Amino acid sequence: MFVATVGILTMLGAAGGAAGAATTFRGAVGVDPDTLDPVQMTTTTVANMVDYVVETLTFIDQEGKIRPGLAESWSMSSDGKQYTLKLRKGVTFHDGTAFDAKAVKWNFDRLADSSVRVPIRAPYPIEKTDILDASTVKITLKRPSAPLILALSWTTSGIVSPASAVKHGNEYKNIVHPVGTGPYVFKERRKGESLTVTKYDKYWGKKPFYDTVVFRIVPEAATRESLLLAGQVDLIVLPPVADLPALNRNSAVKVLLAPSDRTIFVAFNTQKAPFTDPRVRQALNYAVDKQAIIKNVLFGAADPMDAPTAPSLFGYCKQGAYEFNPAKAKQLLAEASVKPGTRVSFLHPTGRYTQDKEVSQAIAGFLREVGLEASLQTMDWPSYIRTITTPLDKGNTTELHLLGWAPAFLDSSQQMLQFLTSYHPPGGLATSFYRDPKVDEMIVAADSEAKPDKRKELYCQISRKVWSEAPWIFLYVQRYPIVHSAKIRDISSIPNEKFYAVYARPR
Amino acid sequence: MRFARRYLAQRLVASVVTLLGVSIIVFLMVRVLPGDPARVIAGLLASEEDVQRIRVELGLEQPLHVQYGIFFTRLLQGDLGTSARTSQPVLVELQPRLAATLKLALTSAALAALLGIAAGTLAATRPYSRFDYLLSVSTLFGVSMPVYWLGLMLIIVFAVQLNWLPAAGSEDSGSIVLPTLTLAAFSVALIARMTRASVLEVLGQDYVRTARAKGLPEAAVVVRHALKNALIPIITVVGLQFGTLLGGAVLTESVFGWPGMGLLLVDSIFSRDYAMVQGIVLVFSALFILTNLIVDLLYAVIDPRIHYG
Repeated sequence: MFVATVGILTMLGAAGGAAGAATTFRGAVGVDPDTLDPVQMTTTTVANMVDYVVETLTFIDQEGKIRPGLAESWSMSSDGKQYTLKLRKGVTFHDGTAFDAKAVKWNFDRLADSSVRVPIRAPYPIEKTDILDASTVKITLKRPSAPLILALSWTTSGIVSPASAVKHGNEYKNIVHPVGTGPYVFKERRKGESLTVTKYDKYWGKKPFYDTVVFRIVPEAATRESLLLAGQVDLIVLPPVADLPALNRNSAVKVLLAPSDRTIFVAFNTQKAPFTDPRVRQALNYAVDKQAIIKNVLFGAADPMDAPTAPSLFGYCKQGAYEFNPAKAKQLLAEASVKPGTRVSFLHPTGRYTQDKEVSQAIAGFLREVGLEASLQTMDWPSYIRTITTPLDKGNTTELHLLGWAPAFLDSSQQMLQFLTSYHPPGGLATSFYRDPKVDEMIVAADSEAKPDKRKELYCQISRKVWSEAPWIFLYVQRYPIVHSAKIRDISSIPNEKFYAVYARPR
Repeated sequence: MRFARRYLAQRLVASVVTLLGVSIIVFLMVRVLPGDPARVIAGLLASEEDVQRIRVELGLEQPLHVQYGIFFTRLLQGDLGTSARTSQPVLVELQPRLAATLKLALTSAALAALLGIAAGTLAATRPYSRFDYLLSVSTLFGVSMPVYWLGLMLIIVFAVQLNWLPAAGSEDSGSIVLPTLTLAAFSVALIARMTRASVLEVLGQDYVRTARAKGLPEAAVVVRHALKNALIPIITVVGLQFGTLLGGAVLTESVFGWPGMGLLLVDSIFSRDYAMVQGIVLVFSALFILTNLIVDLLYAVIDPRIHYG
């Protein structure tokens, strides 16, 4: 009946939304949420909207630093397996029930419950959660995990009201109407159309300006841009990238090229000749002019990679650059006895990452300059994933493929998975099949290292080794374009492809 | 009338058989697509165990004929399954989407029929006039314009430049105008051309000359005699166009963010949501078959000479 009512309302088209009251903030995003259940979420855009309603124990701020959220402080046991968290007092859920240790335990038990679908469960190896007192919990892990505190900032571990799990059409296994502690209360969702939240008067933190926030779902980038230019929304993400220069010149809007953590690279199959030879892999890093690609194909919406991880990750350690140097590339290829005219296969997706097809074509052009004939092949995403994650013993014959990798939370452990032997398909998605026992050892050690300085040093060592061994052509870190009306201020971003507009206000 | 009833029964049976065929084709089609749907649904960061669990949940471990058996048995009970993407029953997800798409398609069909028949008739009564030339040029434009491009152009002119209408969505009054125009453009052009040809042909026939000879006013000749008789091929085109409109809704809905079945279909294909894709294609097919049936029956109403049996 509820759905039918919504359907009829949608049909009739409730009037008046377009003009918008003075205290309504309107955004447009491209993704229709598949779920609003924090634990079931996989899409950053969806997480971004849910973050208005559901809060996490820790937060990542605009600088990428970890901050207290629903937990005020925390400590980790020396073996890295136990965490004690002090919870914020006096916080209530939107349904009036209290946020306390019981609520946290309920949420974390659910997060660890294998009967609940949790796509991003790996960063939360929770064995059990104990209530020490009303505002203290102790989390015991199955294995040591130093980045847990950072992982607790990701929406998957967001805290919903346990009492709400059986109301508003919610079920234990599937929350459709999230009730959290955030600055906004979930009001209404129109599938394929919009998501509306309203201000929570009893919010424990700083109160936002706008009474209502509406996110409209508009899959077509050009249409999102039109909505903004027509003044029908205040903020959009991901405009058509080719329009960035024009938007930059338009004084009615502001373009934020937000730093993200999405690295784009060409992975070599390092177990297949001639890419078993690090010199060949280095050569190709020198062969590609990344700056030219960023300027001409991405319209400036990226920065060249200067380490195996994005700068926004904990453990990032700058390594320098593979300067564009075709002569050096040719020399290295000659040293490795790769003959000019050698054919290499190059797989790439299309429409998955910004300008992915165009970038791949440009790279093929640069490879041709140093004597390699790259035969480009594109596939739809599911086929593509299946092809590049075929295990070696099941006949993976790929040579080069373009891929992007964006850690859900900003820690090098999430990026280094790509260089871990146990993460080779089928065990994971390390599609370059890079194999180095020393690196494996250091990655595992870093995961359980309690001291941040020491962890950082370990990631530095891994970065150095991986950078010189070059299992990838290190291309660039994508930027995440956010465009908003110039009449609004206090909009920023979090470096994991989220916009931060909770405290937006008119200029 | 007895014949008509038998014919109706035959057509209904044929429709059901067609739908059955569609269900088999759709079922096989989504399954022979390459790629692992469980992996796509789980997301790149999911563990292998979670992927495996989703595989079992979706029944992907079962042999094809068993999967179809389950699918068909449920279908007979009116159960289109559960969306893998949203964990909601497909039927529940489809209802508001179907309403939105039908609203858009019906409005467009009505606009297309009205404008198309009017313009085509006018052109036929003044063949080779300036209006006629204008019509043939603009219909050529209408038939050959990509829906996508037209949609974006209308948005730029009427939403961004003039700021008269909403650029996207379906919540505001007036938001249906641009998608309707976009969707109707092709059909208006086609129906206008068809009407012109059909009316022109009828106008040359003896009974029209007789009607004129009787001294009937020209308007009455055209509307009561010529147009009525020219209507049969036009109805066929309008009927077929309705099917095209449903298909065209996929592109139009994407451009305008109109929350209908087309938009849902695109989302579902990309996320390998088997149950949803099947449900949408089945509903589209059923609508298409129903439209054809209605067109055939309308023939009999308009032209009593047509008997079915």
